Amino acid sequence: MTVFTCRDNWEDILTCIYEAWASGKGHRNIRLELEPVSQQELFCEYIHIDAEEQKAMKVCSAIRKKISWQAYQWVYYAAHSARPEKTECIYRFLILGFHFGKKITEMLTENTVMRIMELSRRVTNEEHIMREAARFTCHERGIYVCHIEPEHDILLMLAEYFEDRMPSETWMITDDGRRTAVIHPKDQRMYQTVLTEKEWEQLQETERIKDIYTTLWNEFFHTIGIRERENRKCQNTMMPLHYRKHMTEFM
Amino acid sequence: MQNRGEEELYKKLHILADAAKYDVACTSSGVSRRGQKGFLGNSCASGICHSFASDGRCISLLKVLQTNHCIYDCKYCLNRTSNDVERTSFTPEELCSLTIEFYKRNYIEGLFLSSGVDRSPAYTMEQMCRSLRLLRSRYHFRGYIHVKAVPGAPEELLTEAGYLADRMSINLELPTAEGMKRLAPNKNHTAILRPMGMVARTIAAHRLALGKDERMERSRGNLYLENSIFSSEQQKKVSVQTPALLQESGTKELYLPADLKKSTEGRSFAAAGQSTQMIIGATDETDYHLLKTTQYLYQKYDLKRVFFSAYVPLNEDTQLPQPGTPVPLLREHRLYQADWLLRYYGFQADELLSADQPNFHEQLDPKCDWALRHLGQFPVEVNQASYDMLLRIPGIGPKSAMRIVYARKNGRVDFDHLKRMGVLLKRAHYFITCQGRMLYPVKLEEKSIFRQMTDLNRKDNWQISRQQSFYQLSLFDDFGVR
Repeated sequence: MTVFTCRDNWEDILTCIYEAWASGKGHRNIRLELEPVSQQELFCEYIHIDAEEQKAMKVCSAIRKKISWQAYQWVYYAAHSARPEKTECIYRFLILGFHFGKKITEMLTENTVMRIMELSRRVTNEEHIMREAARFTCHERGIYVCHIEPEHDILLMLAEYFEDRMPSETWMITDDGRRTAVIHPKDQRMYQTVLTEKEWEQLQETERIKDIYTTLWNEFFHTIGIRERENRKCQNTMMPLHYRKHMTEFM
Repeated sequence: MQNRGEEELYKKLHILADAAKYDVACTSSGVSRRGQKGFLGNSCASGICHSFASDGRCISLLKVLQTNHCIYDCKYCLNRTSNDVERTSFTPEELCSLTIEFYKRNYIEGLFLSSGVDRSPAYTMEQMCRSLRLLRSRYHFRGYIHVKAVPGAPEELLTEAGYLADRMSINLELPTAEGMKRLAPNKNHTAILRPMGMVARTIAAHRLALGKDERMERSRGNLYLENSIFSSEQQKKVSVQTPALLQESGTKELYLPADLKKSTEGRSFAAAGQSTQMIIGATDETDYHLLKTTQYLYQKYDLKRVFFSAYVPLNEDTQLPQPGTPVPLLREHRLYQADWLLRYYGFQADELLSADQPNFHEQLDPKCDWALRHLGQFPVEVNQASYDMLLRIPGIGPKSAMRIVYARKNGRVDFDHLKRMGVLLKRAHYFITCQGRMLYPVKLEEKSIFRQMTDLNRKDNWQISRQQSFYQLSLFDDFGVR
């Protein structure tokens, strides 16, 4: 058994798939794993793969051309899942995908297809909840800062949504769990960075900023509920507690 | 709070949000619009709920009144002129800065602007239009706006509001003319239905001009349903069976400004459609009547949504339920369930209720109730049933039905697949077979299935109907001592 390993990153994963495919060892004799590999097995050869842009692009365009746009989306979202088995799942899905073509996304009776659908569904669902639950605070000089702590790596997808929504504002979104951030200067393209320890500490304070509008929002939030219909349980179902950590009205 | 201006704004927001909270329809769905450089905001057809209030209702828009001054005296309303409440109004600037700043912090998806009738319908609508105009032009706002049309306002103002907003709504308030006369003496159905009809026709005209179908988009599943209330067959029947109480006088006007390009700046007229709301439980209509009216409104006026608002007794009045009467929450819940069945599942009002059974079952949701009354059509073989039959099985929704239809082309579907596709087997297993087998041996008998199903739902229903956990016993009401 040969095990191909790579870091948890979109390009790394695609390159790893490319190399595993190109190795010609036979699909049955290889496995893909995400680093860090927790326990190495005896009688396995471990090969580490680094990202190469060209190879990754090749895999991307092959999925889009030979399978379908929807399959590409599923793979993209699944690759951003927090589940460690995702690389192996994507690989198995693509084997079937290149064989059956675009009807693969309808073949939900296949276990591998169902797995990818479930993985991508979890990621898109969390992204949607974050669109709702992300809260910005206004820093001095009109910079808006938002902290999120998602399970899956949805920072970039979320930022793309906000780039469309607020193209002419200066804002940033930080992923507190992964310590990465997307910064969007006014009227310019956004970019992603990894935060240093010092930057991260400085940014921690921004979440506690209070101004007139946070007060007004809290007031609005508490006024708009009808007392005669109070239903905390329904509220808890609709707005799960773990998303409330960074929400202004629940702080 | 730093200065007096801020303190005043705080107070105004409290009063005007408090007065607006009984309005339902806080949705931001129905229109997709990309953002644009130099502007703020976009819009997402699926709708986005930003938070959930203590009553479990979603907060999607900044829901406020322009003013709570009101010259009308509708008996059910907290802001009626005979009530002694603190009155105030927002200036357009205050409203704009609130919306913009809340929007930038991602608290809201846009603005929901309603109003009491201050001085006259025309003056009120003028004020609302001023706010919206300012928001769209000076503040470059591209987010979602839902505006209430004030019946009786001049046409030019309603036209302008339509071009500035994404969704317009006119409240039907009460489904019968008689109830209307009793509880809202200053309003009448003709005055409400006339603008509703004109808005509907204007939206249709705009859609045609853009090369779209004249009727609003509906859930995709409706394309495959022959008997849904939106299918063209059914639409033709509508004019024949108009409920007598909702007759609109025969006008055919549209709202079109003289210079279309200049006054609208390329915006379309109420792109997210039109909606309305009805009060439940203040008068004594049956569910059957309400649902028929709802279906009629969808077909005749092509409304995007009809909302129901369970009446919360606020005012003491001999015509109304006493303050302290439980809010009919379960009834509202059942009506919404039925509303979904009309719009997504291809049901008709007449299938769910009839003159003999005019109200919904208390313990069973309308779909289960229908299935139990038609046990002859079950069990259904999932691998062969048509899409519209799949949709009629309790526990299967439009998404899972579509997944089943796709998946079974390539292989046999079994119970494990169904579960992973999102089918709710605890409801569905009474009604389906996979490859000829049921999940558990079930006796297909109305009574025994009813007993098992109500046991499933009992906890939920009990909670919905009894949310006021404390209740003062009264010698007169509860024990009949007079």
